[in-house]
Amino acid sequence: MGVVCVYPYPVPEEKSGQQVVDTIQKQLELLGAHKSGNFFVDCESYQSNLQTATQQRLLHLFHNSEQPATCFSVLDNGMCLVSDLLFEVLILKLAEKKSGKDSYYQQRKGFKVESKGQRYELGDFIIKVGSVIVASNFRGILIEVEYSPCVIPSECWNLMKEFIQSFMGNIAENPPAHIKSKMDTVYTPEDTIQQYLEHFNNFRKATSASVPATPNR
Amino acid sequence: MDSTGPMGQVLSSRVAPLLENFLQGSVLDTSKDVLIHRLRGLCDNAENQPEIFHDHEIVFIMQGNPNQQPMYFHVRHSLIHPESWHVRYLGVAEVGDKNKLTLIRHCVDAGASSNVVDFLNEMGFKIDYEFIAKGYFFHKGRMKVTVSKLYKILQPGSTDQVEPLSQSHLVELSVVAPRVQEQIGEDMKNFAEQLKPLVLLEKIDHKRLQQSLESR
Repeated sequence: MGVVCVYPYPVPEEKSGQQVVDTIQKQLELLGAHKSGNFFVDCESYQSNLQTATQQRLLHLFHNSEQPATCFSVLDNGMCLVSDLLFEVLILKLAEKKSGKDSYYQQRKGFKVESKGQRYELGDFIIKVGSVIVASNFRGILIEVEYSPCVIPSECWNLMKEFIQSFMGNIAENPPAHIKSKMDTVYTPEDTIQQYLEHFNNFRKATSASVPATPNR
Repeated sequence: MDSTGPMGQVLSSRVAPLLENFLQGSVLDTSKDVLIHRLRGLCDNAENQPEIFHDHEIVFIMQGNPNQQPMYFHVRHSLIHPESWHVRYLGVAEVGDKNKLTLIRHCVDAGASSNVVDFLNEMGFKIDYEFIAKGYFFHKGRMKVTVSKLYKILQPGSTDQVEPLSQSHLVELSVVAPRVQEQIGEDMKNFAEQLKPLVLLEKIDHKRLQQSLESR
């Protein structure tokens, strides 16, 4: 596990998502990257159903194929619990309606977001080209780049920037916002999830805000 | 998430995947050493010193309106290995009929990061009660035996200032399995037989126990 940067990749209006994905993948293959299976990061959201609590809570449950035995639960205040996969069963217990009793959490229907696609390796880099799917509709592209030998972002950012720009252009001018605040701390898989959460929330907002695609995207 | 793997089945059937078969008993502090000796002889790895544990358990409750059933999560924190935190859901123990040789309850175990206490608080859980459990752990095949002394915490938050809850040790024999299997009950019954008369491991009816405490 190293440092991971996740960036959205714009899809021009005249092209389909698949065409853009194909172009990026071709470019990566030209650079010498080789395919190393598929990957996915997915997120389901649960809304609290507690009248006694002062505030409604939103809980996001993440899986990342890179950490297959782990699930990540992120609350709307940013707190993240890293746990065994079975913790998900505990959440489902809270969301279960049993013998006419109400549940404490409710799954938000049509809120599932997923980024999945091809995983590539190129030397010390791992590159993932993900198609983002919100409620089974394609919504955009997220590119994840990991530099595995290092865990301190500030030590490898310049190297990562140069590599990312070599196939993605100027998108990676700055480190992702989440990493910017912790450039000198040890990077953990939780930070990857926080980056995905931010992007997933943006895609969800875009989905609910605009039905016709905005031309400048 | 693929829906074909074991996890997928668990999620689609919406049931806890694991059932805990268990028997409980108690032994006076004065006879504990004899029991430990006997267990060392009966269980696996007899040549090693028995494994010890020293855990802080916090039980969280989520309670809402009267139409919501209270939900309990048990958080265990090892005081020997302070980096290890663990969440457990336990269902209501079913006594069943005479054919069932053990108590059975749903049980889900998950290791978690050290912020689990804060996380559960933020989720809407409240601390119901807490205690310290200190004792010995044995296993024989898939059977697990714990002999534990329970302590009351005198000052909330301080795990050093404790007071024994009773003058005896709690003995538990358990097997966690994916489904009800009669063989497990047989094995456990046989094992319990071998511990008599040092300790009587039985199906303790928790509901009746609670009722008798309330009527006292």
